[in-house]
Amino acid sequence: MQLTINEKIYEVPESPARPLLWVLRDELGLTGTKVGCAAGFCGACTVHLDGKAVRSCLTSLAAVAGQPIRTIEGLAQLLPDGSLMLHPVQQAFLNAQVPQCSWCMSGQMMTAAAFLAATPAPSADQIVEAMTKNYCRCGCYVRIRTAVAQAAELLAADQEGVV
Amino acid sequence: MTAPKRRWRMSRRGFLIGVGVSGAGLVLGVTLAPKARLQIAAVLDSGASQPASVAGGPDAWFEITPDNQVTFYATKVEMGQGIHTALAQIAAEELEISWDQLTVKQATTNIGPQDANGTSGSMSVSSLYKPLREASATMREMLRAEAARKLGVNPTDLQIIDGVVALKSDPTKQLTYGQIVQGVAKWDVPKEAPALKSPDQFRYIGKPIPRVDFLAKLTGQAIYGYDARLPNMLYGAIARPPTIGATLKSANAGDAQAQPGVVTVVNDGNFAGVVAETRLQAYAGLAAMQLEWNEGQVWQQADIEARITVGQGSGVTIQEQGDADGQLRGAILTAEFRTPIAVHAHLEAQAALAEVQADSARVWVSTQFPSFVRTDVANAIGLKPEQVEVIPTFLGGGFGRKFGVDVAVEAARLAKASGRPVHVGWSRTEDMRHGYFRPPTHHILKGIVEGGRIKAIEHQLSSGHISSDFLPRYLSVFMGGDFGAWRGAMVPYTIPNIKTVAWSNELPIPTGWWRGLGLLPNNFAVESFIDELAHSANIDPLQFRLAQLPDGERGPRYKAVLEKVAELSNWNSPAAAGRGRGLAVCTDAGTMVAHVAEVAVEGNAIRVLNFWSAVDPGLAINPDGIKAQTEGSIVMGLSSTLIEELTVKDGQISASNFDGYPLITMKDIPQIEVAVLSNGDVPHGMGEPAIGPVAAAVANAVFALTGKRLRQLPLKLV
Repeated sequence: MQLTINEKIYEVPESPARPLLWVLRDELGLTGTKVGCAAGFCGACTVHLDGKAVRSCLTSLAAVAGQPIRTIEGLAQLLPDGSLMLHPVQQAFLNAQVPQCSWCMSGQMMTAAAFLAATPAPSADQIVEAMTKNYCRCGCYVRIRTAVAQAAELLAADQEGVV
Repeated sequence: MTAPKRRWRMSRRGFLIGVGVSGAGLVLGVTLAPKARLQIAAVLDSGASQPASVAGGPDAWFEITPDNQVTFYATKVEMGQGIHTALAQIAAEELEISWDQLTVKQATTNIGPQDANGTSGSMSVSSLYKPLREASATMREMLRAEAARKLGVNPTDLQIIDGVVALKSDPTKQLTYGQIVQGVAKWDVPKEAPALKSPDQFRYIGKPIPRVDFLAKLTGQAIYGYDARLPNMLYGAIARPPTIGATLKSANAGDAQAQPGVVTVVNDGNFAGVVAETRLQAYAGLAAMQLEWNEGQVWQQADIEARITVGQGSGVTIQEQGDADGQLRGAILTAEFRTPIAVHAHLEAQAALAEVQADSARVWVSTQFPSFVRTDVANAIGLKPEQVEVIPTFLGGGFGRKFGVDVAVEAARLAKASGRPVHVGWSRTEDMRHGYFRPPTHHILKGIVEGGRIKAIEHQLSSGHISSDFLPRYLSVFMGGDFGAWRGAMVPYTIPNIKTVAWSNELPIPTGWWRGLGLLPNNFAVESFIDELAHSANIDPLQFRLAQLPDGERGPRYKAVLEKVAELSNWNSPAAAGRGRGLAVCTDAGTMVAHVAEVAVEGNAIRVLNFWSAVDPGLAINPDGIKAQTEGSIVMGLSSTLIEELTVKDGQISASNFDGYPLITMKDIPQIEVAVLSNGDVPHGMGEPAIGPVAAAVANAVFALTGKRLRQLPLKLV
C-alpha cells in the first residue's frame, strides 16, 4: 500500500494492523518520530494525520489509508535555495532552549503545531490543556509552556506577513 | 587508514607525546585516568583531510582541518544535561577560536580521548575543567610556536584572534590554524602548561551559549541508540523472567522459527531470544517460543519493606561528633520516614545496535559508560576489549540507568548468532520491570533543641544497595558500606552532637544508581526533620538554619543560597491565604541548593503553585544550562514527591507501563524561578544536586499550611 509522508509517496507491504510508529521508524527509517511507551500514554510518537495530532503507536496502517502524514522530518520547510526554514514551533523551541535529552520533543512539537493550527491565539490554560498529555522526563515543561506561547506569536506574525 | 606513529615519554612532566603521520590535522589530548593526568598526543597531518583517520590518535581531543575548522571530541555523553556545549565552551575559550569554527563530536572507544569515568555523578564539568583548559591552551601555544617558525618571527610577536595567528605589528602577515598544521614534521610541546586566561578575559565561559545539539534534535535528525540503523540489519527480542529472580530452566523454539520474518532463534542456556526482519516479528516469534522458568519465592511489597528497616542488615556509623547517644535522652523528638522504589523512566528505553565480525565488533548504544560496555560486550562474545568499538549515541535520558549495559550485550549476542547486525530496543514494560531501581529507604531521626539550636541529632537510615553491586567488592569493604546510599545522609549543620548510621540490606530486586542516589530520600528525611525541630522550638525554619550554618567554606555559601531563596520567595512576609511555604537546602557535588515550595490543598490533593530556587554551582560555565538542570531536577523531584511509587505484588513489579507508574505532567507543574549564584573560579556539579531538597521543601510547605507532617513519599493527605 502507499503512504504519503511529508509530501512524499512511500510503498509499504500491505498489513493493515501494523502500527504506523514501527512502519515509520523500522521500515522507512524515519526515526525522528520517537517511541516512549508504545501504548498511548506518553505522546513521544505524535505525528500529524491530515493535520491532526495522533499517537502513531496507536494508529494502524488501516486508519491512515489515503490521508497525508506529517512527521518531525517534514515540519520544517525546505526552501528552493536549499536552506531549511524552521516551523515557528521549532523556532520557538530553539529560542527558548527548551529541550534537554529531546527524546520527547518531536512529539511535543507535533502536538503543539497541530494545536496552534486549530487554536491560533491560545490562552495559557489552553496551552497546558493541549500539552499536558505529553510526558517530558527531563522536566522541560516550564520552557515548553513558554515556547508554545511564543510559537503562537510567531505564527500570527507569519500570517500577517511580518518576518 | 592507520598511521605509523612514534611515541615517547617526556619524563620531566610525565607526559606522553606521540607524533605521527596520518590523514588528520593536529590533534592533542588528555587522559583522564587515573588522576586527570595530562597526556598530550600530537598527530601530524600529511596533507589529506580525513576526519575518520583521527582513529590513528586515540587520545586526541581536537582535530584541525585545512579550512580552519576545529572538531572537538567530547568524551562525555550528551543525555540532555548540555555537557557537549559546556565542554565546548571551555575548549573554545583557551583555543582562541570563534564559536562557528567549532564542531562537537562524540568520542568513541576508538576515536578521541578515552575516559574511564563514564558520565555520572555530576562530575563531568568539575573533573574536566582544568585539564581541558590546559590541553586547549597548550595546543594554542603549539600553534603559535609553529606559526612563529613559519613566519620567521618570535612567538611573542604574534597575536591570536579567532583561529588566526598574525604579526602584531603587521596583521596582514598571518596564518590560520588550518594553514599552520600543514606539513609539520615535528611539534614542540611546551615544557610548562601555558598561563590560562583570567576570568575577566572569558568570552565563552560564564555565558548562556545556546546548545550545540539542538538543531539536529529539533529537526528529528539526531541519532539515539533506539535510532541506530545499518544496512541488512535485523531486530531482536529477549525472553524475560515472568517473576522476580526467575531463571530460564528450558527453552524450546516451538513454532518461533516458522513465524513470519523470523531469521534466528537463539537458545543459549540461560539466555533465549528471537531475531527477525522487524521488531514486531521478533516479539511475535518470542511469544511462540516455549519457555520454562525456575521460579523462587513469590515476593510481596511487605517483604521488601521488612528488609528496608533500620536495624536490619548491616549498619555502619558514617558520621559522629560529640556524644549523640548520651545527649539524646529525655524530651527528644523522634520521627520516622519512608521513601518507595522508583524507576528512572527515561523516555528512550534501553537500546543498542551491534555488528559482530569474526575478530571485531561495533556497538551503537545509549550508554553513560562506554568503557563498561566495551568490556562486557567483549566478554560476552569472546573478543578482546580492544576488538570492540563502542559508539555512544545521544541518550534519550539516562538518570543513572544507562550505566547498565545489558542491552548492548544482548544485541551483540544476537548479532553473533545471526551473522547480521541486530538492534535490540527494550519495550516500556521491559524497561520498567527488568532494569534496576532506586532502592526504598527507611529513616529514624532523633533530636533535641536547646536555646534555639540543635543540641544533638541522630539519623539512622536503611537502604537497598546503590553502589555496591556495580563497583569492585573491595571498595564496599574499604568504605564499610554502600556510600551511594549515604549521599545526603549526613547532617551538615554545626551541631555539637551528631550521629549518622547507615544500614544496608539485600533486596530480591536489583537496585542501583538513580539521579542523586541517596540524595533525595535522605534529604527528604533530614530536612523535614530539621523543619520539625524548628517548629518544635517555635523558630522560623530559615532563621533556625541560619543559626547553625555548616562550618568552613560551606557556611557562607549555605547562607547565600538561603538568603537568596528567601528573597525570591518573599519568605519574610506571610504566605497568601490558603497557601503554605516550605524551605529545604542541600549540598551535593560541591554545589549548594536552597528551594522554597509554595503549596495549596484542594480536597486531598496537594497543589504546588510556586517554586523558587537558589543554586551556587561554584563558577557557572553556562548559566542557562544550570537553570535548565535546576528546573528539570525540580520537576523530576516533584514527580517523586507527589506521584511516583513502584511496588512489588505477587512476585512481579506491579506496573508494566505508565498507566501503572504515571509521571508528572504540565498541568501539575508550578511556576519555577531559579537564581544562579556564580561563585569563585571552580565549577561544581549540576546534574543532580537540585533534586535533593525538592521533597522536603514540599512536605515542609504542606506542614506550614495544614499542620500535618507527611513523612512518606509520595506525599498523600489521605
